[in-house]
Amino acid sequence: MEKENLESLLIDYIDGNLNEADRLMIEKELTENKEADVLYVQLKEVMNLMNQVPQVEPSASMKPKFEKSLKEEISFSTRQKQVFFQPWMRVAAAVALVMVGVIIGNKINQSRQHEEEIAALKKEMESQKNLMMAMLENQSASQRLTGATVAYDMKQADDDIVNALVKSMNEDTNTNVRLAALEALGKFYQQPHVRSQLVLSLATQKDPMVQIALIRLLVKMKEKQVLNELEKITRDNNVMKAVKDEAHFGILKLS
Amino acid sequence: MEAVKNGELQQASVLFERYHKRIFNFLRQLSNDTMLAEDLCQNVFLRLIKYRNSYREGNRFQSWIYQMARNVFADHYHSNKNKANYTDVEKMKEQISETDENQEEQEQLLHRSLARLSDEQRELLVLTRFQHLKYEEVAVIMETTVANIKVKVHRAIGKLREHYFELEKTN
Repeated sequence: MEKENLESLLIDYIDGNLNEADRLMIEKELTENKEADVLYVQLKEVMNLMNQVPQVEPSASMKPKFEKSLKEEISFSTRQKQVFFQPWMRVAAAVALVMVGVIIGNKINQSRQHEEEIAALKKEMESQKNLMMAMLENQSASQRLTGATVAYDMKQADDDIVNALVKSMNEDTNTNVRLAALEALGKFYQQPHVRSQLVLSLATQKDPMVQIALIRLLVKMKEKQVLNELEKITRDNNVMKAVKDEAHFGILKLS
Repeated sequence: MEAVKNGELQQASVLFERYHKRIFNFLRQLSNDTMLAEDLCQNVFLRLIKYRNSYREGNRFQSWIYQMARNVFADHYHSNKNKANYTDVEKMKEQISETDENQEEQEQLLHRSLARLSDEQRELLVLTRFQHLKYEEVAVIMETTVANIKVKVHRAIGKLREHYFELEKTN
């Protein structure tokens, strides 16, 4: 039998861990094999020795030492409890903290987005305005007409735009441009400056087409300040009959 | 232990009462140093309180505390690794001179033979033969199979026998 295997079986034999068949086999081996017997005796000696090693009593100071640190731990953990309450409270606090963080983050993000949007819008408006003003002063009538149309599409008009449009309406050489400018101004008639410019324009307009459109617009605006001007037009012999009719109609509607 | 885990820390006192002698002896047999074993044993029970939440209910407490004791010992061993050789020899001399007076020759021989084994073999013999733990439990503590433990223990006993009778001859 191989030595390691024999040794292992002998250890189990000494420990009483062998089944009946193995036990008989080992006992037979021990009577027949002198070396096995020596090994058995030696193993038994060290194993018995190990079994008999006494347990040593620890010093008496251990227990009080432990009790002291246990007390510290208890007071520490109750203190911790007072601060942190229960685990679910800690979880709730963590969740709340995260939520506050998310909300603040969102706010910052939103306001930044707003600012960006406003800046982009301003920039766009600025460029649109510059383009429109340039167009209104262009040599080509069709370009000026396009400029007036661009102005019509704008959502808001500042003083620069209104002044440019008024200038076009009163002074442009092309009727279509003047009409387009008037139409654009009509869109912004609620702005006080636009209103007064329209009223003033009625006295100076000589183009019948523009006069008619202007009268219609002023009537629509219910602008009673122009009644005198309208009566003047009805009496003016230089004015076209169609314009006079429009003025009569306007007087009827406004008074 | 479950009571301790659920916050009844005073119950740890009962556990200490029940297990500290065993753990102290385990550490003493591993380290050959009574003073050190007392300190480490204290550490084991402090860890038990501190890490009570890592105890999984239903597990055998004894296996858990032995595992903890092994970790405490390993931590100590690693942190003192650099000076270990020097101090160990010093301690060994102390230990031997101490045992000269108090212990029988045979037991002295046994300890010298044990000292010649590998750390793992020595630990296995301490657990199974000095502490009388079953192979099954040692397998749990060392996180391996029972068969593996049995083979290793048998080999360790074989080695111990060789060293023991070699030393006996030269004596």
